[in-house]
Amino acid sequence: MLFRLENLTHQYSDGTIALNDVSLSFDKGERIALLGTNGSGKTTLLHHLNGILKPTLGNIYYEDKPLRYDSKSLLELRRRVGFVFQDPNDQLFAPTVKQDVAFGPLNLGVPAEQVKKIVDEALRTVGMAEFTEKPPHFLSLGQKKRVALAGVLAMQPQVIIMDEPTSNLDPRATSEILHLLLQLNKEAGITLLLATHDVDMVPLFANKLYILSKGKLVSHGSPKELFSDAEMIRRVNLRSPRITHLFEVLKKENSLPIGPELPLTISEARKEILRLLDIANGAENERAASHERS
Amino acid sequence: MSPTPIVPIIVFLTSTIMLLYFAKIPYRFYLKMLWYPMIIIAITCLIIAFFFGYQEPLAEINLLGLRWTVFNDGVNLGFNTFFRVAGGISTQFFLILTTPMTSVLLLLRKARIPQVLIEISLLIYRYIFVFIEVMETMHTAQELRLGYSSLMRRLRSTSLLIANLFIRTLEQGERTFTAMSARGYDGNIRVLEDLPKPNKTALIGIILFVALLIIAAYLTLNFRIV
Repeated sequence: MLFRLENLTHQYSDGTIALNDVSLSFDKGERIALLGTNGSGKTTLLHHLNGILKPTLGNIYYEDKPLRYDSKSLLELRRRVGFVFQDPNDQLFAPTVKQDVAFGPLNLGVPAEQVKKIVDEALRTVGMAEFTEKPPHFLSLGQKKRVALAGVLAMQPQVIIMDEPTSNLDPRATSEILHLLLQLNKEAGITLLLATHDVDMVPLFANKLYILSKGKLVSHGSPKELFSDAEMIRRVNLRSPRITHLFEVLKKENSLPIGPELPLTISEARKEILRLLDIANGAENERAASHERS
Repeated sequence: MSPTPIVPIIVFLTSTIMLLYFAKIPYRFYLKMLWYPMIIIAITCLIIAFFFGYQEPLAEINLLGLRWTVFNDGVNLGFNTFFRVAGGISTQFFLILTTPMTSVLLLLRKARIPQVLIEISLLIYRYIFVFIEVMETMHTAQELRLGYSSLMRRLRSTSLLIANLFIRTLEQGERTFTAMSARGYDGNIRVLEDLPKPNKTALIGIILFVALLIIAAYLTLNFRIV
């Protein structure tokens, strides 16, 4: 296992218990979504994975070794586990895009000549190569998010953690970020862990889903399994993807012969609709045929 | 330092011409930048001209029964100060308007300015823009709820705005620190040093220009306005 969290509990200094006995694990190359409402503990959980927060109780293992918090071990962990923050303004602190992306690799002690290459490469990957010398305040939010991602990519991590990668982005920027992440997962084999409450995005992205509610892990499994448990989804104040909800209503209220698994994405819905049309056409043809016979 | 206004005037004209013709700064923008500091120095220098000096009386003014004497060296000092500050401001603007912040910071680093000061300027430069945005948003939000509709409300809203901005800067500082730690920050901000190699013709030009200024300063040593 790449990451393993055992009975993780975190209590903030003001007494709030943000995480309560959470255990989860995931492997290399996976795409995991952490789903939960605002204040469910997603960010707190993520902050444990690269050592920003220490667990109050419980253990965290990276590649089966417990996390250590001395500065050398932390530097090593942070090289492997990249973290993209929700608000890019928190992350982009340097006067130019290039300087910001260079910050991570320079901290790792990479020589300057090589850093330049890494920075160019990272900015090209996220499609921001022509903005190298721009100050961050001239960029749009979507562009800032991509620069923040480049800053993490430049450290050549094995895992990328993103807190609400698509929040406040327009549809175009959302799908661009999503495609970029999927491409990184596929081509570079980077393990991805996203915290989100964008339920429509989850099935497009994740192969594994954890649902967090009030600091507790409520459920985990494939998006298909979890979203078919409509009652649980509602209990934790989330909702199914719109398209799934539509099919749920059609099945329940209109008794359409929809399969046991509800479609989660547009492409699945398309298949299901075509299948239903086929059934309907078959029935129509049969009726016509029997009409002719009589 | 030049005791006469000649050299500062040369400097002022040179940087102004370079800004307007070579750097293509819109002249309205440049005038607007110059306007406020110039008013302040003009007033200051007027005061210097009238209140300083003791050598040769130039004029006597009758001010409501008080006799006020203006001296030649006071007037000269007023003019000198005015042009010296004007020259200084124009070169400052020249630096600000033509040189990217990163280059300035890298140069300061080369000049062995303490690391802490450079890092603080770097962070200030970046977050000033973030906080201008925050301030504008908060100001609009207050204005939409009529926070600036009377003098008392204006004062109250402004004080709240300032107090809130302080809190926001503290929070932002903490979040930036966390984000920097996540990328291996250990107390030193390392930057990529890639200053462009100095252009030879530019370098020679600068040396010649400075030499010219020194010569001009010596030649005009005894020049006085009055």
